[in-house]
Amino acid sequence: MTQNPYITMKNIKKSFNGVPVLKNVSLQIGKGEIHALLGENGAGKSTLMNILGGVHQPDHGTIYINDKEVKMTNPRISQEQGISFIHQELNMVNDLKVYENMFLGSELRNKVGFLKVEEMCQQTTEILSKLGVDIDPKEYVRNLATSYKQLIEISKALLHKSTIIIMDEPTTSLAEHEVNRLFELMKNLKKSGISIIYISHKLKEIKEVCDRYTVLRDGELIQAGDMEQEDIETITKLMVGKSISQNRFVHEHAFGPVLLEVNNLSSQGLFKDIHFQVKKGEIVGFTGLAGDGRTELFESLFGYRKKYTGEIKINDQLIKIDHPRKAVEAGIGLVPKDRKENAIIKDLSVIHNMSLSSIGNFEKTGFIQENVEREKFQYYKELLNIKVHNPRITIDKLSGGNQQKVIIAKWLEVGADILIFDNPTQGIDVGAKQEIYQQIVALAGQGKSVIILSSEAPEVMRICHTINVMYQGEITARFDGEEATEEEIMQYATGSKREATQIG
Amino acid sequence: MANTNVKEYNPRVSTAKSRLTWLWSEYSVIIAFIIIFIASSIMNPRFLDMNNQLNILMQVSIIGIVALGMTVVMLSGGIDLSVGSVLALVGVITVLALNASGSILVGIFTALVVGSFAGFLNGLMVAKGRIASFIATLGMMAATRSIALYISEGGSVSGEVTGFTAIANNDLWIFDYPVIIFFAMTALVYILMHKTRFGRYVYALGSNEKAAMLSAIRVDRIKIAVYSLAGLLVSVAAIIETSRLNSISSSSSGVQYELDAIAAVIIGGTRMTGGRGKIIGTLFGVLILGILNNMMNLMNVSPYLQGFVKGLIIIIAVVFQKRE
Repeated sequence: MTQNPYITMKNIKKSFNGVPVLKNVSLQIGKGEIHALLGENGAGKSTLMNILGGVHQPDHGTIYINDKEVKMTNPRISQEQGISFIHQELNMVNDLKVYENMFLGSELRNKVGFLKVEEMCQQTTEILSKLGVDIDPKEYVRNLATSYKQLIEISKALLHKSTIIIMDEPTTSLAEHEVNRLFELMKNLKKSGISIIYISHKLKEIKEVCDRYTVLRDGELIQAGDMEQEDIETITKLMVGKSISQNRFVHEHAFGPVLLEVNNLSSQGLFKDIHFQVKKGEIVGFTGLAGDGRTELFESLFGYRKKYTGEIKINDQLIKIDHPRKAVEAGIGLVPKDRKENAIIKDLSVIHNMSLSSIGNFEKTGFIQENVEREKFQYYKELLNIKVHNPRITIDKLSGGNQQKVIIAKWLEVGADILIFDNPTQGIDVGAKQEIYQQIVALAGQGKSVIILSSEAPEVMRICHTINVMYQGEITARFDGEEATEEEIMQYATGSKREATQIG
Repeated sequence: MANTNVKEYNPRVSTAKSRLTWLWSEYSVIIAFIIIFIASSIMNPRFLDMNNQLNILMQVSIIGIVALGMTVVMLSGGIDLSVGSVLALVGVITVLALNASGSILVGIFTALVVGSFAGFLNGLMVAKGRIASFIATLGMMAATRSIALYISEGGSVSGEVTGFTAIANNDLWIFDYPVIIFFAMTALVYILMHKTRFGRYVYALGSNEKAAMLSAIRVDRIKIAVYSLAGLLVSVAAIIETSRLNSISSSSSGVQYELDAIAAVIIGGTRMTGGRGKIIGTLFGVLILGILNNMMNLMNVSPYLQGFVKGLIIIIAVVFQKRE
């Protein structure tokens, strides 16, 4: 099939903020082929597909459809070329009805300009029934379960008579019989000459339905080939790479007593029955795929979410945490993920961001002493190597790595004994990453308990003493950091394997 | 790494031009004030007259005090539409308390309690009830006006304690008491917003509520405090308003004060969505509005047209701020 590809992406390069995300990647897809695009989180799959979908522009490289060069300058052009993109996150308007969502932006109208509601409903029903779904097209989307929303999202792509459908993790919230229906449908589409690019972490599914594959790792093309000739193990190896467990950062040292103990923590629909312990000086990692509930778990532990049951013990004392303030008083700090939304206050200066959670340290008779604040910032600037010329500028003018260091300084200043880092190196370049790892390891060396949440298995493998793998809100496996392999972590994270007995 | 830091401040590039843009973005309202002030003094010689200048200050002092509270509310990301109605209600109850007790101190104390309690209720609705501030304070606006009308049966109430009028009608050297109170309040709110943790938290909350909460800030309590403070400042304004003529009208006092206060805050450069703005900006915003009103009177512009000019100025101010 390679001799006559329908779509060719050639030598695509793309950088964000000077960080290369795609380094000379090429991709070929034949007509009527289901093509698996594989790679770990951050390998560049989504960026590549966003380029094909016209969301991002490549810095370098060309796209050919049917041997003609096309420039995807915006998503509309991509759509006109017959490309449909089913995004991982659901783009449904909850307050509209099913058929209104299906036809959003391409409503059927009669000559006068009124909507042809009955016809739209009929077409909706037809397409949904192909997927084996029987829902009233006039139902409001907000009343539907997530799996139905995902199926509607898929049907929407079918409606547009596309020739290429990109599916980014389409099965995350589907039940098994729904997945099977989807696969049948995909095979039918294939017969009618439609090409599908399928992105998923679930290798078993991929093996079942895909014809060919392309593996990306760290923005580079690793290998492409026919699915039949490979088994799951080799593909996993290709995705993970061999040199991946670069020297571990973490030092083995004796741990202190148990500082944090969590028993039976559950929250409806987010996580259930979580048990774990963290000792003084220990770095514990939590990893898994998107939607595994780890962020929600620790947001609950930090008191940001209040609806959970179970017990949290610190120093063997039962505590109730229903507000982040209580968590801080109990000695817990959280460096959240999605820095822009959750961590930085973009209108405050660098110094003020640093001192925000510990203003008491800088007060005298109720007034903030800016000179003390400034001196303290100078201390952290040197300690963490924060690159900022004038710390009175607002924090949003710093690079991601420096912003993150300021947030870490903020929690060091609070003096928490238990530090939770959620995706600490998200959107940070390699140099700053190393520095942040070193800092985390140093904290553990000082006897603090550190918890790392990361979707990147290699990251937790490099810096954690203990690794917990989560899948759909449960801890499915627990490894010693030394012994874990990425293949194993992947198997538990994708739910293809789970430990018979819970540990701890 | 190398190219990630170039955006932030490079001393060699900061030429006169970039310094000028910085000056403009930080102090545009002061520059606008100076321009309007100079233009006014050229257009009408009577403008610069000392009595006229003092008159302007006297006229803006009540709205100015209300606008200080409004600034804090808007910095926190909210809005308070109830200020005018609360002012009328506080005035009415204050007069009743004065007449009943015969004591000025009791009157002032009652005013402060009623105003901050109304603000506290606003804060409770916004923070705990999770009602949008626009809606919560709109409800408060209707309710308090109605209570004021009910208590005074739709008319005015007059005080019988003559000493009470001293508050608004005496002066120290050349400054009337209301002007002094306005400047004192400005200084207090400035210190509160820039030198204490309360101010820091309000900015943080207005800029990014989720991050503020994840920074272990008691967001709910700060919100309640913000609206209570706004209510307290309305009380101070109500005391002055009542003291001027020793009476207050339940139907016409405080009407549209919320609009004037919001206008002053916006002209002063505070962002509608919160997190950015300055108390000093509001001070100059109030003064600009005062000068415009004064000039239109001096130049015999029809009072019916004055709203048009004011509206125009607000829109121009916002357009200029969008530029940055």
